[in-house]
Amino acid sequence: MDQTTAMYVAQGLHGLAYGMVLFLIAAGLNVIFGMMGVLNLAHASFFMLSAYLGFQFVSITGNFWLALLLAPPATAICGVLMERFLLTKVHAFGHMGELILTLGVAQIILAAVKGIWGTESLPLKMPPILEGRVTFAGLDYPIYRLFIIGLALAILAIMTLLLYKTRLGKIVRAAVSDAGMVNALGINIPLVFMMVFGIGIWMAGVAGVAIAPILTVFPGLADQVGMDAFIVVVTGGFGSLLGAFVVSIIFGLLSSYGVQFFSQFASVLIVGFMAIVLAIRPNGLFGARDA
Amino acid sequence: MKRVVHRLVPLAFTLFFLAPAAVAQPAANAGFDFKNMSDMSDFDPANPVIPTGDTIKIAVVASFSGPAALVGQIYWTSAAWAVHDVNKRGGIMVDGKKKLIELIKADHASKPDQAKRITERMVLQDKVNVLWGTDGSNLQKIINETANKYKVIAINTASLSDDLQDATNFSRYAFQTSMSADQLGRGLAYYYGQTRKKEKKFYILCQDYSFGHVLADGFKKGMKEFYPDAQIVGEDYHKLFLTDFAPYLEKIKASGAEVVFTGDWIPDAANLLKQARQAGVGIPFAHVFLDEPNFLHEVGVEGTKGLIQISQYGTDNPSFKTPEQIKYYKTWNDLWKTKWKTAPYNSHLFEHGTGNIGSYIEQTYWLLSVIERAQSTDPEKIIKVWEGDSYRFTTGKVIKMRACDHKAVQDLHIFEYVPPDQQKQAFNIPPYYWYTGTSAPGPMTVLPARVVLPWMDPALDRCKGQSAAG
Amino acid sequence: MRRALAALSWVAGAVALAVLPTTVGPYYTNVFVTFAIFSVFSVSLNLLLGYTGLFSFGHAMFFGAGGYGTALALKHVSGLALLPAVGAGVLASLVLALVLAPIVVRVSGTAFAMLHLAFSQVLYVLALKLRAITGGEDGIGNFPIPPLNIPGVASIPMKDSPQNFYYFAIVLLALSLWLMWFFTKTPFGQVQLAIRENARRTDYLGFKVPQSKAVIYLVSAAFAGVSGSLYGLFHNLVSDDGAFGALVSFAPIINIMIGGIGSFMGPVLGTALFLVIEEVTSRFTERVELVIGLIFVLGIMFAPLGVLGTARKLRQKWRADREARASVRRTA
Repeated sequence: MDQTTAMYVAQGLHGLAYGMVLFLIAAGLNVIFGMMGVLNLAHASFFMLSAYLGFQFVSITGNFWLALLLAPPATAICGVLMERFLLTKVHAFGHMGELILTLGVAQIILAAVKGIWGTESLPLKMPPILEGRVTFAGLDYPIYRLFIIGLALAILAIMTLLLYKTRLGKIVRAAVSDAGMVNALGINIPLVFMMVFGIGIWMAGVAGVAIAPILTVFPGLADQVGMDAFIVVVTGGFGSLLGAFVVSIIFGLLSSYGVQFFSQFASVLIVGFMAIVLAIRPNGLFGARDA
Repeated sequence: MKRVVHRLVPLAFTLFFLAPAAVAQPAANAGFDFKNMSDMSDFDPANPVIPTGDTIKIAVVASFSGPAALVGQIYWTSAAWAVHDVNKRGGIMVDGKKKLIELIKADHASKPDQAKRITERMVLQDKVNVLWGTDGSNLQKIINETANKYKVIAINTASLSDDLQDATNFSRYAFQTSMSADQLGRGLAYYYGQTRKKEKKFYILCQDYSFGHVLADGFKKGMKEFYPDAQIVGEDYHKLFLTDFAPYLEKIKASGAEVVFTGDWIPDAANLLKQARQAGVGIPFAHVFLDEPNFLHEVGVEGTKGLIQISQYGTDNPSFKTPEQIKYYKTWNDLWKTKWKTAPYNSHLFEHGTGNIGSYIEQTYWLLSVIERAQSTDPEKIIKVWEGDSYRFTTGKVIKMRACDHKAVQDLHIFEYVPPDQQKQAFNIPPYYWYTGTSAPGPMTVLPARVVLPWMDPALDRCKGQSAAG
Repeated sequence: MRRALAALSWVAGAVALAVLPTTVGPYYTNVFVTFAIFSVFSVSLNLLLGYTGLFSFGHAMFFGAGGYGTALALKHVSGLALLPAVGAGVLASLVLALVLAPIVVRVSGTAFAMLHLAFSQVLYVLALKLRAITGGEDGIGNFPIPPLNIPGVASIPMKDSPQNFYYFAIVLLALSLWLMWFFTKTPFGQVQLAIRENARRTDYLGFKVPQSKAVIYLVSAAFAGVSGSLYGLFHNLVSDDGAFGALVSFAPIINIMIGGIGSFMGPVLGTALFLVIEEVTSRFTERVELVIGLIFVLGIMFAPLGVLGTARKLRQKWRADREARASVRRTA
């Protein structure tokens, strides 16, 4: 293809890649919010924590794949600990309680990260196998970004399978709809909640390690992505994984084509899109209709 | 006759080599006193010794908490180094008494209202004599305002916005010892158009806020003046703390640019360079802040080759011309090698004590020298000494304080980053390189002060009819 | 007796406020002004949150609208007087609230909260991008601050006098507090509580819920605008992060939680406490985030009703205990 077409296709791929990363972070947040009604302001902080843990694993073992495998579950464990010992105590006070608690945890994670790893930016090199670019049809594209797209799609596939093809998935979907009823049916709802929370954090953790070679690992990492993830969740609709996916892709494409055609006003496109969606459907694109 | 000629030839030779050095720098009112530099072996950047009591108090206003806490650490260490040195010499004689200098941390956490509160606390409760700050021109404005309101000296070492000293914001008590955005943009344009004369197509990618815009405007202005043949093939402003540069890099690729001009700083600087090299955008960057060693090491020697940096810290090559300069450098470097074992002081960032850290140290020495010559902490006396003052840095460069608007007139320096085996021309002592893991300054070009004078606001009454050269 | 005591404490309070600047010096005077501004801001949010049960995650947009409204008015309208400038800020807030009201009054709960976060973010980005108008990241600074002109009496300069500004701000903010308190005591205020408890039943009882919500919304926005306007005047700077940032939306929520959600003065107490915590923490440690984080976590877990709420609970418990013991004694 000619240069201009190649550029537009490349921008599309960039949008996809960025959207997929956003999806990984937002999906966890979405399910947690949708099912447990929990506002987790510390979600992006766990994303950042996982990037740091990934760095640590790479420093110790020198192996990126190990880090990708181990850091997210380690982060998920931290998340579950927070859920079990802290969040459950404040459920009674609704959203405000969760907001303050998770805000506090976010601050603590920031302090911990600075205390353990310091304030400077840490290097995380990508595995040599994923370095470099592929050339196809006149297009030159970094392999690592293709890897990210693939990884996110794989996780999406696993999640969908889990949700729709397993008994656990059925329970989770039912719990999103009516947790009280499911509890009445004898299912151990707190356990289910804990698992879902863990999986949500795990997904954010994968995003953290995956994106670390592209971004700088420093204490401001959480702030960089936090608001974007929230906007995706809000626009997509709580509890809707499909909503999170669709909106993530749209956001990714809007940001890359926005830069292409509207330069610095790309971010206006994104928030504008969000505003319009919310004005028409306040519960999000795929959110349940408010009673 | 032959004997006379034999005698004259070496003399002529010597004069030939000395003359440029003698003519190059104007005389200065004062300079760094190598001879009396203290033994710095007890300087611990993690825990500098801070005197208390009847001291000269300097508040370092910066981010000491939050995500940008590294910046505060860097400023603190730089200021503490200079202060430690002067304190060990016995301090400074002011108002008839020899007083030590006390540094105080003032955390603004990058928030404007916090900045106002902390600077007021420093002035009203801690009774500081000087406010030393900061990055972020909007925060520096607040510092300058407090300084002006309560008649306390403010030194700006790191905010580059030109409007800090313009008609609306000027204060007699605020002094900008740092370089400024407009002269940086013009300086790079001058270099490319008048000295280098190679690349012709430039892409501007800056941060979308006042610094980024002023820098870009300065560059465009400079291009028209110094390099009319060149082309600006693209211009973009990205949001601060952007995560994904790929869409911009795509545009750069398609534009056929040969150089990318940027003023980005960490983390944008790091993300931009890393992602550019990953995306196959291998063209050099004309930059100000793509110099943080840690991320440069991440990108590696190949990816950092050819970067062109404009800086206020520097000297004509080679870096170390006198035994004193070598000793000064080694004082820092040896401590880094042997004693500083805790993060971040043990990282490449603090290895050489040159670059930005060096610049903050120099500016602090200048401040202390001014106070010493004023022989007082009375702001009026300090202003009197500082306006029109000239000071020689350890690098040999002479910097001047323009009296009418308190901006610094100085040569600027252009560094080209080259692989380790070519860094000897700058790093002329063993091991003859700055770093093995990344390209670093090699060839150096001086931009004489008269070419890169800092912008002077025509609306500022004090400057009407004054020469921009100070 | 109690009425006399109450009246006396009001007088004492007024006297204390009047002599504050001269007794505590300019630094603490300024701290007090900050406290007062955020108190009004937090109370305005509590009108929505505590009284009507509407949880807004983006109250900063009215705060910011007030700030930018005033700053832009002062920057572009030469010779604009002080009170009209504040009025411009309040007007900007009201206009924003009017635009949003039709959308937001039909939702509640999580959707309401999220909608506000979303719109607040829209304003944040707009303020960032429309650099020519709003100054982008740097905001609008050094706009002229006119003196307070009382026609025929005096012209009181505000710009370089922390003391004068203090009096001006305190009067305005105290007035705002009083007006809001008065609002909650009107029959309309009762409707607020009713909506919080059970919106549907309130509707069935014949009260027009969406319209009532809209009125409360406008009132809340107006007073948030007052505080935002004064904040801008106080700093002589309105910046995007300081006006529309997420933290600006979170701060009043935190204040309300600390102070106690169920009372009018709770947010005021919470604001004071949080300011004290901030001041003390920054003097003693660099690990500010750790301390603040721990306070949030421990606070919400062990004192979720805030200071006033926990105090009330304790008092009720003490009273109940006393009753129980008394009744045991009676029957014994």
